[in-house]
Amino acid sequence: MTGLGRFGQLKSLWVTYFVTGCGGIELLPVITSRFDAERFGIITMATPRQSDVLVVSGFITVKTLRRIIRTYEQMHNPKYVVALGACTINGGIYWDSYSTADKLELYLPVDVYIAGCMPRPEAIFMGFGHLMAMIKDGKADGWKRYKENYEWYKKNQDKACGGGKKWRVRDV
Amino acid sequence: MYEELKIDLENKFSISFEVMRERRIKIIIDKKQAIPFLSYIKSKGFIHLTAISCVDWIEEGKFEIVYHLWSYSNKIHIILKTKIDRKNPLFETASFVYPVAQTFERDIHEMFGVDFKGNKRQIPFILEDWDAAPPMRKDFDPVNYSKEHFETEQYTEEIETKVRKSQRFRE
Repeated sequence: MTGLGRFGQLKSLWVTYFVTGCGGIELLPVITSRFDAERFGIITMATPRQSDVLVVSGFITVKTLRRIIRTYEQMHNPKYVVALGACTINGGIYWDSYSTADKLELYLPVDVYIAGCMPRPEAIFMGFGHLMAMIKDGKADGWKRYKENYEWYKKNQDKACGGGKKWRVRDV
Repeated sequence: MYEELKIDLENKFSISFEVMRERRIKIIIDKKQAIPFLSYIKSKGFIHLTAISCVDWIEEGKFEIVYHLWSYSNKIHIILKTKIDRKNPLFETASFVYPVAQTFERDIHEMFGVDFKGNKRQIPFILEDWDAAPPMRKDFDPVNYSKEHFETEQYTEEIETKVRKSQRFRE
């Protein structure tokens, strides 16, 4: 993508919030009038097919992981993943649970991690600022990594979600 | 009021009756009498089955099924406990007495592996494509299961310095 295209994209990030855990509580002030994400061009989008960023906020159970993967694969390139909270980094307080997958980056290419349990809206804005800077430099290449290393991601997804089951609709 | 109920119930069933505190009664009953007891107590005004829970007594080799019943007219909460064998967890459904029991039993069937005979809707509930042992049993090891299926990473100083270097906003 050219520099102009990247400039256009970083000023109008359309976001699908995949609210899995407690992170949704911190996202509400972000998108409403107090912190007002729209002044940076960050708009909540109704469908994943129209959005650029997937925000996964909180712990990932195996059941939601299947839906997250499907949601991510429905989005158009270029697409970015923002992982919110400690649970997406190494499982957080659910590290020993039988139903939660620990690291999101094994299953999807994460561009920006926002640490915290839960991160405040200020931290979320910092993370989005980070993402915008990465898009500007052309360094946010998660979607390229997903395409190139799809076999590796698919292996990890099958290990966590169960291979051979019918949850995967189709290969990318 | 409790005395009346106690005499009435002890005449009909062999139970141990204990008033735990005001408005709360604990009843322990043999498993063969549990379902007839439920249908009798429902006719006495205990129309609300709040929950069914299951306790795993692994050293004893028993599962304890606990019914929570509430009467709106008397304002009494009955906790009905009965124990079944752990090796062969087979029990009878209460869904003919309380229809809501169907869902609670479905949950217990999934989490503990107790088979409720006569329950028409004992299909998988929350867990999707689950093929390991029932996860709420005491002998199921969630840490091992998590280690086998999901990789994790502990924070070390090495990672911290790496992360700090990559954060351009802190420089």
